[in-house]
Amino acid sequence: MHIPDGYLSPSTCGVMYFLALPFWSGALIRLKAVLSTRVVPLLSLFAAFSFVVMMFNLPLPGGTTGHAVGMGIATIVLGPAASILAISIALLVQALFFGDGGISTFGANCFNMAIAGSLVAYAVYRLVGAGASLTARRRVFAAGVAGYIAINVSALLAAIEFGIQPALFRDASGAPLYCPYPLSVSIPAMMIGHLTFAGLAELIVTAGLVSYLQRADPSLLRITAPEAPDRDCPREAGEAVRWPAARKLWLILAIVLVITPLGIVTAGSAWGEWSAQDFENPGARREMAAASRHQAPPSHAPKGLQRLSSLWTAPISGYAPRFVKNAYFGYFASAMTGVGIIILFVLFLSRVFRARARNPKRQRASFLEKTMSGFIRATQHAIFAEDLARSDGLLQRFDPRVKLTGTLALIVACVASRRLIVLAALLLFACLLAFLSHVPLKTLLVRVWLAVLGFTGLIALPAVFLTPGVMLARVPVVDWPITVQGLRTAAFLILRAETAGTYSLLLILCTPWIRVLKSLRFFRVPALFVLIVGMTYRYLFLLLQIAEEMFEARRARLVGVLQPSERRRLLAGTAGVLLDKSLQLSSEVHAAMQARGYRGEVHLLEDIRMLPADWLRLGAAAGISVLAIWFGR
Amino acid sequence: MNANRPNSPVFHLEDVVFRYGAVTALDGFSFEVNHGESVALLGANGCGKSTLLRILAGLSFPAAGRVTFCGQALTAERLADASFSTQFRRRVGLLFQNSEVQLFNATVFDELAFGPLQLEWPRDRIRKTVSDLLEVMGIAHLKDRAPHRLSGGEKKRVALASVLILDPDILLLDEPTAALDPASQSQIFDLLISWRNSGRTVILATHDLDNLEDIAGRCAVFDRGRIVAEGAPLDILHDVALLERIQLVRPHHHKHEPGAAQPHPHPHLHTGE
Repeated sequence: MHIPDGYLSPSTCGVMYFLALPFWSGALIRLKAVLSTRVVPLLSLFAAFSFVVMMFNLPLPGGTTGHAVGMGIATIVLGPAASILAISIALLVQALFFGDGGISTFGANCFNMAIAGSLVAYAVYRLVGAGASLTARRRVFAAGVAGYIAINVSALLAAIEFGIQPALFRDASGAPLYCPYPLSVSIPAMMIGHLTFAGLAELIVTAGLVSYLQRADPSLLRITAPEAPDRDCPREAGEAVRWPAARKLWLILAIVLVITPLGIVTAGSAWGEWSAQDFENPGARREMAAASRHQAPPSHAPKGLQRLSSLWTAPISGYAPRFVKNAYFGYFASAMTGVGIIILFVLFLSRVFRARARNPKRQRASFLEKTMSGFIRATQHAIFAEDLARSDGLLQRFDPRVKLTGTLALIVACVASRRLIVLAALLLFACLLAFLSHVPLKTLLVRVWLAVLGFTGLIALPAVFLTPGVMLARVPVVDWPITVQGLRTAAFLILRAETAGTYSLLLILCTPWIRVLKSLRFFRVPALFVLIVGMTYRYLFLLLQIAEEMFEARRARLVGVLQPSERRRLLAGTAGVLLDKSLQLSSEVHAAMQARGYRGEVHLLEDIRMLPADWLRLGAAAGISVLAIWFGR
Repeated sequence: MNANRPNSPVFHLEDVVFRYGAVTALDGFSFEVNHGESVALLGANGCGKSTLLRILAGLSFPAAGRVTFCGQALTAERLADASFSTQFRRRVGLLFQNSEVQLFNATVFDELAFGPLQLEWPRDRIRKTVSDLLEVMGIAHLKDRAPHRLSGGEKKRVALASVLILDPDILLLDEPTAALDPASQSQIFDLLISWRNSGRTVILATHDLDNLEDIAGRCAVFDRGRIVAEGAPLDILHDVALLERIQLVRPHHHKHEPGAAQPHPHPHLHTGE
């Protein structure tokens, strides 16, 4: 049921992410209230449990495989909100580290299994088990039914997402771009397996664990059964789950973990989880056809599928680490690794949230407020940069048009250059220009080099490991190969971005904004546009300042902490006021322009003149760019 | 258009009604200003002073009533005429209450050059006029600065300069000294006094009663969209009951050292004695 990258169109993926988003944020908000010691160990427990349960593959009719998800038991013990998060975390770790389920389809997989699964399980369990005491037989029955229906709803949703692809997304020749099988195939193929074996597995897991908990520690069933009579299990003060109680569940997890290699016994793959290469492989093709009502798959992997399937290469693809020879041990090691990652992840999350909950007085500014003041500071920084722009350096003396064209030419040169040495020379030249223009290297370091390294480095890093070529070394533990080509690719990416960034910053630092604007006039940009851009730049500050003052005024009048909902409402109100103020401002400014003779046509003073020296400088910049492109071929 | 003739009305308003939605800002308003006069408009916040100035500047047009400028009707249609509006804009300058609104250019130099550019003066003349005025106003050192980075007093001076650049003979000033420090205020007052003596027409809205006699020959007192009193500054300033009614002064405790001369240029209510 883990839809891989490529089986859903990007638009479908976007819609599914969009659908999942409110549930995630809702679950997080609900959880924050109870995220004390109580839920954290349980959440990681069930995330880990769900992760491991999904590794137990069962043979399904038609030659494919399926598995339980664990959404039933997670929902019953944790409640739907925490269950949504627990299963989403399990799915995230599977997708990121083990290549089970795609990155683009992560939203869809979470929506099917974590969100719909948890909510359906919750509804069914509350409905069927209503009023029964915590240790009643009916709770076991309710749990089984809840798990069975939940996993089938998830499978049906996945089948629908698969099945609508060929109807919606085809290339010019009419061949499907993503999942090739229509609803008439996907629904039976998915549902037959889940209505029988996989559903049964979920039923047994859920009912069995509830029955076990009834005897071991009924208080763990309290969250989703608040109305149950207290006969068997008196409510404890503070409702805190004692650690020993949860320890029993950890024990179960450990046992399940140890026997994970059993999950690998089943050969074959799940329906709709074939790799792009499987479409070319006769054996795999036979299996695909057998599982899909004997409809042969297209002779080549659909184009969109092929393209998207290489979106992400998981470090331990298919739960089989490359350095482990024994497949069973590899599977077990993967399960251990996954559980470890999940526990760390949940601990990290709880750290973050708890740190916030602990300091209610030191109220943190909301995200938007923070971004806003950060933006204001950054832009004001841009203005302070004008001090540098007005100092007497080399670049400062250049005509702005020369600087604009020259910078563009040099950036083109560094994008076009295919030799590292040329890129390095261009970067060196940029440093020389910076030195001659009194730009401190520290400014470049902080505002370009480190920032660009952070962003590009993140993008370039996987290239070090993923680019095929001559192997240089292997990373210990994870065993990723480092290739010469990979290092070269990463170096190129980073150096290119650094060089282009340095030139852009030099242009910005050494040219007052108004001069850049005026030089636009030279390139025949209409005067009205130039005026509007200039005014936007100017009034943006004013509005941002008003906004910041409004936020500050609000904060000054607040005592204590605001509920998130109240904070959002206030923010919306502020945005409304700001819009009103900006409308007022624009009509006032228009009046002010009219009062000074503006009649709908703008006249600007163009007081910059190209001197012979400027032509010379322009020539020099062009020459260097051409040379760089020539040598960098 | 008429040349400056002393004692002929520059602006003549008759039964002017102006509404902002349901709110009536001017309600059957009649008013006249002659050449060379300097008139202070007094009144509490929201009494219609700014609205009147916008109408005089040809930015807003009344729902009913008649407005004439030098004997010609001042209407939206009239201002659509290029030659009329060029003349009108050059002769009538409006200083906005909010300098932020008035300063929309990227540098102080551009700010001053904006008006002349729109009236299509020759470029060389613009450069010279702007440089001269920057010197006269004592803001030459701000020439390349961004107007929005200036202090409140500097902004006001730049805004004034951007109005004066066209050498208008009728100045409309909306609370020119509000929110300025005493030094900046007195600079503005000095300018106002010099214009008054040079025969320009000045109409200013103000709350400032301290310097009224120096800057205005006539006061018009507003209340709720109508003129409730008109007269020489001193007559108005001595009508304490009126000033109190329109909320320009209010009783407050106020003591004098025994034997000290009464130093106030305007009346106070000495309730504390």
